[in-house]
Amino acid sequence: MSRLSQAEKVQPDWLGKTLAGIILGLALSFGLVGLFAWLGSDGLTQTISVEKHSWRTQFNMWMVSPIWLLILSFVFMFKNYKQAVLWLGGANIVVYVLLYFVRGMA
Amino acid sequence: MKIRADILRIYQSVHTWTGITTGLLLFIGFFAGAITMFASSIDKWATPPSHQLSQVETTQYDELLRRAFVQYPESQNGIRVSFEEGQSPITWYQQGNARGLSLDKQLWHGTLNESGELEAHTSYINELSSLVDYLHRSAGIAGEIGHDQAGVYVLGVAAILYFVALVSGVIFLLPTLVKSFFALRDKKGASRFWLDTHNLIGITSLPFHIIIAITVIVFAFHDFLYDGLGKLYGDKPLFGREAPSAVEFKVENLPSIEEIMEKARAYAPEHQIKEITLSRLNSKGPSASIQLVSDEHLMRGPKTDFLFMNPYTFEISTSSVMNGDQGIWGAVVTTLFGLHFGSYGGEFGRWAYFIMGILGAVLFYTGNLLWLEKRRKQKQPEQSKSSRVMGKLTIGVAMGSLLGVAAAFALTKWTALTTMNINVVYMWVYYLCFGFTLIAAFVIGMSKTAIWSQRAIAILCFSLPLTSVIAFAIPSLGIWPATAWSSIGLELTAMILGVIFWRMADKTKHRAYNGEANSIWFIGQHKTECELQTQSV
Repeated sequence: MSRLSQAEKVQPDWLGKTLAGIILGLALSFGLVGLFAWLGSDGLTQTISVEKHSWRTQFNMWMVSPIWLLILSFVFMFKNYKQAVLWLGGANIVVYVLLYFVRGMA
Repeated sequence: MKIRADILRIYQSVHTWTGITTGLLLFIGFFAGAITMFASSIDKWATPPSHQLSQVETTQYDELLRRAFVQYPESQNGIRVSFEEGQSPITWYQQGNARGLSLDKQLWHGTLNESGELEAHTSYINELSSLVDYLHRSAGIAGEIGHDQAGVYVLGVAAILYFVALVSGVIFLLPTLVKSFFALRDKKGASRFWLDTHNLIGITSLPFHIIIAITVIVFAFHDFLYDGLGKLYGDKPLFGREAPSAVEFKVENLPSIEEIMEKARAYAPEHQIKEITLSRLNSKGPSASIQLVSDEHLMRGPKTDFLFMNPYTFEISTSSVMNGDQGIWGAVVTTLFGLHFGSYGGEFGRWAYFIMGILGAVLFYTGNLLWLEKRRKQKQPEQSKSSRVMGKLTIGVAMGSLLGVAAAFALTKWTALTTMNINVVYMWVYYLCFGFTLIAAFVIGMSKTAIWSQRAIAILCFSLPLTSVIAFAIPSLGIWPATAWSSIGLELTAMILGVIFWRMADKTKHRAYNGEANSIWFIGQHKTECELQTQSV
């Protein structure tokens, strides 16, 4: 493997990447679960039994942390913290705009 | 598998930092968690047989309840009916309730005597398994935040780091995984041996660890997660409510226990009913919480499945047994709970989880040892300050918590001879042992502390079967020996653990006095230049 030049190497950027993973990652995870809660099967627009609704909500709550943890774990793969903020921030905007429209239609 | 060197280096740092900051907390959580797999057996072993009253005939439960409701009206707020042999048929709390750890919980036990009269007495319930469970959930960090122990949140944060440690550990192990997975090199120095052990345990039990990390985070932060979810739901409620009943129920109209059990059996025909807790019997929202057991099913709770029913109308609000309208969602959530608690597969499942829990503790302990070995300066006796402090912390915390638990077990039957509240004794004993060992590690050094504490743990373990032998030999002492199979199993396990700790002490001693001199472990005589030369000739 040819040696990578300093500019090509992944920068650690500990603080920036960690914060991006914690804050933007958590927001993104909530957003994705939110979309799934509204659009997925047995979603919030459908009429389902109280019992099923309660388990669906528990399921949604359970899904937040695994998604967040995966983002937090792999955030250090970004080349530098700017890339991390850009990609995660961008994904957040897309997800929350979608969520806004989905909820508006309901 | 090839991974770029710069990425490997980053994930190695991630693994080191997340590991070293959480290892000791997780160590306590894991070994204590492993022990809680046998909570029922432990309580049976630790509770004097006289505390439980004799069971009654199946037909007598209604009569028993009726008398308890009249003579002890507070029992109408919450009373537990147990159908298990060896348990009192009914129990209720005079103060406090079943949740949480409180040291002066007064539990009433009731039964019918031969002439059909209610016979009741109070006793302090033995909280030995609760002490272990408390350590499991909080790592012994005292204090409360909100309605939970502060330690629960600390372990929640630790679990987040732990998940990241798992992923990063796998990433930087991948390039060498195939080559060294099953290698256990014990001839290539301590560092190699600890590394191979650490990797082998980490990779083989990875699915277990991922489940544990995710569930611990949810157990700690579910309130926060529900709050966030609530914002996304907008004006939709998180949990719908059944319309509240218009009528106020009265205890006089309570159907018979047999009728309630009939309905529960119809819902969950493959489960056995273990106990029924009746609460708020004079209200608009009465509840029968029914504990169901099955070795063939993955159960949602630590020991049981649940079913909630209105005891007057038999309306089932929900259950963790998938026979209602839970959908796939209920099955997934119940599975996640069950996979944390290991409440599937009966006795075999409990042993498997016990062993995986212990191996988890070994994973974190070896992780710390690896960190220490890696920073060892091989050319000079003087070691860095961070290594010395971490070494003392590792020994002090790990051995201190083990010693505390071992002492609590060892003192159980002897304390019952006195009038002391056993649960207060447990707390004092645990924290004294823990604090003493931790201080000793800093005052007399890590190696000496490791040696004596491992010997002490071994002796305390040996004392459990020895106590039974003494109890058999001198019955007048009033100590109850282990007679049930589960109690005998517990004492045999203690004996095996005792042997392991004794051998650990031998190994530690060897390394401390005869091992490599340039190490934080070494406390033997430093050889002079001249001696070294003659040796090498």
